[in-house]
Amino acid sequence: MSQRHEAPARPRWLRMLGLSTLILFGVGAYLALAVSPPDVNQGQLIRMMYAHVSVAWVSFVAVIVTALYGMAFLWRGRPVDDARAVANAEIATFFAALTLVSGMTYSKPTLNTWWTWDAKLTLTALMFALLVGYFVVRGLIDDPTRRGRVSAVIGVIVAVSLPFNYLAAAWFRTLHPTLSVAVTGVTMAPIMLVVLLFNVGVAALVYLTFVSERVRIARLEHARLETRERREGDTPGEVVRV
Amino acid sequence: MSGLGAGLAADVAADVAADVAAVVTIARKDLLQEVRSRAVTVATLFFSAVTLVMMAFAMGQDAELLRRSAPGVLWVALAFAGVITAAQSYQSDLEEGAFDQLLLYPVPRASVFLGKLLANWLFLLALGLLMTPVTLVLYGAPAGPSAWLLPVTLMLGTLGFAVVATFYAALTANLQAREALLPVLMFPVVVPVLLGAVRSSEALIGLQNTVLAGGWLQLLAAFDLVYFVACTAVFHLVVEE
Repeated sequence: MSQRHEAPARPRWLRMLGLSTLILFGVGAYLALAVSPPDVNQGQLIRMMYAHVSVAWVSFVAVIVTALYGMAFLWRGRPVDDARAVANAEIATFFAALTLVSGMTYSKPTLNTWWTWDAKLTLTALMFALLVGYFVVRGLIDDPTRRGRVSAVIGVIVAVSLPFNYLAAAWFRTLHPTLSVAVTGVTMAPIMLVVLLFNVGVAALVYLTFVSERVRIARLEHARLETRERREGDTPGEVVRV
Repeated sequence: MSGLGAGLAADVAADVAADVAAVVTIARKDLLQEVRSRAVTVATLFFSAVTLVMMAFAMGQDAELLRRSAPGVLWVALAFAGVITAAQSYQSDLEEGAFDQLLLYPVPRASVFLGKLLANWLFLLALGLLMTPVTLVLYGAPAGPSAWLLPVTLMLGTLGFAVVATFYAALTANLQAREALLPVLMFPVVVPVLLGAVRSSEALIGLQNTVLAGGWLQLLAAFDLVYFVACTAVFHLVVEE
């Protein structure tokens, strides 16, 4: 607040990655909104599927990666692994929220209900709740090592819970049959599959860009903190936040 | 068998026996404390009873609706009781600084977890065995021909709740707002337990096809096994010294 620090410039590769992601995002949106033909059954609504499926897939990948970096932190104890885990968890939370919102918007016109207790949607909602818990606990622990350890453990639990929650949600639904659309690659027109895969790739690039940027910021924060600690020496009662 | 191998086996057996003794001692201490203070017993008994009555009032006069919802209400009451039990099992230790003493004992941290888990599980199981007939009577639910298998569901279901609750209660024991935080963290994880326990209870008292109970019980058993092993293995990472 008092003095401005000159932050190191964003590295060239990250700027290029961000720029190409932005361009490809535009291309993906054009493919989904203009090139893709309307669906036989769902008409123009199929265009929502491209966004919905892309963010859903990426959010699940990000959760698995969160757990993996959490385990790496438990193993080696390097702060950067914690930073990577958090970056992935943030993207996973945001993309899970996008999945829920787009899923609800998509199911209102197609299935005529805002919410179906569909296995995948239920699974995403539970995963979102677990990820929110991850951040709530993180916010309450001040010691960086303990915070990293505890959130790594919670991250692993989130990943472990996925198969159980999916199985339970799937069986739950079979006892209470509801309307459901099966969007699988097999029944999809080839052009639609291409558009979908392109958009999944774009979502993955968005994910990579934001995770890289978030890890870069976390590293800068960590470096800043270390210099401050060195400068201030052993000031008593200092609360350290990374 | 060589003398060295036999000696090693004897050492391992002695270690395991010592760990088991530590687990039993800690569980016994928690249960004895509960028998003397009855704090959790009173709280959870009244809480479960109030939940049963409140839910019955909330759902109204429809006898069929009440009958069908009996297993769901029972397990929701047990889930909340599990939160209270697990939170209290650390709280009473922390208040007097006894938890630090407990961690100083020369036994693996996992023994502390398993001891508390054993105490919490036995407590929840006893509560479940007590509340099940009360619920069936209060909600006019039938005790079908397979109802004698209900204790199996109770054992597996309360174990699932107890494992996750005991683990997360250790994690949140020193945090602010832990009373609100524990259910928020725990409930999304135990959804499979809740579903499995409710569905198999429904099947066992004759509200659903009995064949379905088997699959749900397997899911419960798998959940219990995976979380039991995982939580025991990582407990030492989350407990604050």
